[in-house]
Amino acid sequence: MNTFVNRFSTNNALSVIRKAQAVVDDDEEFSDAAWGSEAGFGSLAKGVPSFSIPAVHDPTAFLRLHTDDHADPNCRIKIQHGTTTLAFRFQGGVIVAVDSRATAGSYIASGTVKKVIEINPYLLGTMAGGAADCQYWETYLGIQCRLHELRNKERISVAAASKYLSNLVYSYKGMGLSMGTMICGWDKTGPAVFYVDSDGTRLKGDLFSVGSGSTFAYGVLDQGYRWDLTDEEAQELGRRSIYAAGHRDAFSGNTCNLYHVKEDGWRFLGNYDITKMHYDGPGDVPGSAQVAYGYDVRVEGRTSSNPPAAAATA
Amino acid sequence: MECSFALTGKGYVLIAADTTAARSIVKMKIDEDKIKSLGPHLLMAYSGEPGDTTQFAEYIERNIRLYQIRNLYPLRPPSAASWIRRALADSLRSRKPYSVNLLLGGYDTSNHTPSLYWIDYLGTQAEVPFACHGYGSYFALSLLDRYHDPEANLEEGLAVLRRCIDEVSKRLVVSPGKYRVKVVDKDGIREIEF
Amino acid sequence: MSRSYDRALTVFSPDGHLFQVEYANEAVRRGTCAVGVRGKDIVVLGVEKKSVLQLQDPRTVRKVVMLDDHICLAFAGLTADGRVLIDKARMECQSHRLTVEDPVTVEYITRHIAGIQQRYTQSGGVRPFGISTLIVGFDPHDTRPRLYMTEPSGIYSAWKANAIGRSSKTVREFLEKNHKDDLTREETIKLTIKSLLEVVQTGAKNIEISVMESYGKVTALDLSQIEAIVQEIEREKEAEAERKRSRLAATAAGQAAMSSRAGDAAQPSGQQ
Repeated sequence: MNTFVNRFSTNNALSVIRKAQAVVDDDEEFSDAAWGSEAGFGSLAKGVPSFSIPAVHDPTAFLRLHTDDHADPNCRIKIQHGTTTLAFRFQGGVIVAVDSRATAGSYIASGTVKKVIEINPYLLGTMAGGAADCQYWETYLGIQCRLHELRNKERISVAAASKYLSNLVYSYKGMGLSMGTMICGWDKTGPAVFYVDSDGTRLKGDLFSVGSGSTFAYGVLDQGYRWDLTDEEAQELGRRSIYAAGHRDAFSGNTCNLYHVKEDGWRFLGNYDITKMHYDGPGDVPGSAQVAYGYDVRVEGRTSSNPPAAAATA
Repeated sequence: MECSFALTGKGYVLIAADTTAARSIVKMKIDEDKIKSLGPHLLMAYSGEPGDTTQFAEYIERNIRLYQIRNLYPLRPPSAASWIRRALADSLRSRKPYSVNLLLGGYDTSNHTPSLYWIDYLGTQAEVPFACHGYGSYFALSLLDRYHDPEANLEEGLAVLRRCIDEVSKRLVVSPGKYRVKVVDKDGIREIEF
Repeated sequence: MSRSYDRALTVFSPDGHLFQVEYANEAVRRGTCAVGVRGKDIVVLGVEKKSVLQLQDPRTVRKVVMLDDHICLAFAGLTADGRVLIDKARMECQSHRLTVEDPVTVEYITRHIAGIQQRYTQSGGVRPFGISTLIVGFDPHDTRPRLYMTEPSGIYSAWKANAIGRSSKTVREFLEKNHKDDLTREETIKLTIKSLLEVVQTGAKNIEISVMESYGKVTALDLSQIEAIVQEIEREKEAEAERKRSRLAATAAGQAAMSSRAGDAAQPSGQQ
């Protein structure tokens, strides 16, 4: 931890050394821990561990100046915040469902955002918080996963992949990263879901939902969730939960993207319009009863008015 | 609201920690284990800033394990406590300190003594007969002053722990639902169904 | 002149040799012998122990060490170099658990160790590690035993059975002749001790055996157990020798009989 002082300072002797290292340092095969004792090494290579930060004097202050955060909501670059994403593990694998709305401040910037990041054929990441942060770092994670695969002749475990991401965002903690993501996949241990966020929290679990609409999604998801759901029931539950959030949360909506991860990798199941689900239901898809999800449609013709029998006949 | 309790008894240390992981108003997980086994006779409960807690706890866990592999013998509880406190204190004086509160319970097999250390994020360390972190401490400390017995057997110790947890559930506005309880004694570490 | 390629720095000689690395191999050849044998679901490490001096504490001399719960290492060569390399490997084992959550695989830690050894053949101002290592263990979620070897040059390779150090060639040839696939626990231990006895004349008291039976289950055999196996091997050898002797005697007798009979047969004609 103490090396953080050295890592972030830009104008001392160490940073000069670091620049020199950047030239020498051309392989990352071995962690710096291996060179802890520096036995016999007088050279500059592999001294202080370092990672890349923007080439401005104080990156944290720069970011705060140009983007909105809790302190100042009126600056020029708005970061995408509103979202609903969910993922859960069940008997038949992992279901991942997300909405597709991007809001920047108070207007809808896009209604066709891909919030599931396909890291590799066996791993999915979801996107909540800063869209750029998620996209960039999860793609970067994909690179590292492939390298792991090449080095170790076997696929990276979901635990290891999520840990890599968690360690990475933790090293940038307090510098303005904003991510809340679920890393989902299938490895030797079976289906797995990990929640990772930019605080550095990493949780293994069966069921997570992230984003401004997560509370609405949880409401439907928790009540309908069982471990022994069938594939079709699970897909329907994911769809319905995203619909619920898209309907109630102003910052979520437009469409729902649904993925199913099984032993042989993930499969994209479809894109469902939330308005259409409200009025007509998701259409002819597995697990659907082909009825509309909307409250008004669901309870059409039913009333709570309870007049006495005499009045009713009269 | 995170709560952790610990108390010593005749030949054992009991540690309890809640099992919720929350983010804003949402409980993300309700069965998270916040007590790590650092060795055959050493337990550590951790709470505080999300992210920092697990990062710090895992860092400590691996270093204590490395010590045991290098030296064949594990660190004894007082030495482990000192080393952990130092790790926290050093981080406090770095650019980005770990904000983590700890309860460290261990059993020293060489002199048959259980010991409990209270360590906070500022690097304060105290050896105590009982300890708490979080809002639970406002209720449990006085309770433990009244009911703790250093010679209590495991059953009596658990009864006192039960009092603490019940009191917090009764009076604290947002009290955690479930707790995980572990005990360390001459036979090692066990989890207790509570 | 070769002398100028013979200094602290590892640079090539004109005919493509790295003398420092070859000298390191020589240091390994002078080290005490270590043997690794892989059985069906067991892997055994055996090392030749130097005799402890009268006033020395034997516990401070260890040639088989744990790297992690599920991996053991034995080395031959400069003990001091071994200590440094082992410490780096142990650190990596814990570091790997910290960053990837899973324990290291045997191949991973072998590659890491070999990687460090290779670096010390290609950096300025350093000399190569004067040790070869045998690394045994089990991968997480797996039941197959593993055995790897690394050399000062940074080469690493997987084996069914192998030896390093003093007279390793003799031992390896012995193993090549006697190793079978799917050895049982007893057979594997016995083969390890038998192969070590090829170079260790002083018997059980100078042999150390570590047995790994499954993930994280390691035991060191104590002297009495090793002695029992050594005696068994000696008995077998004696019985074998006895049989050979009797067979030899039998054939000699047979031959004698035959030649005498031939003599008898020849005699009449000879007499003619």
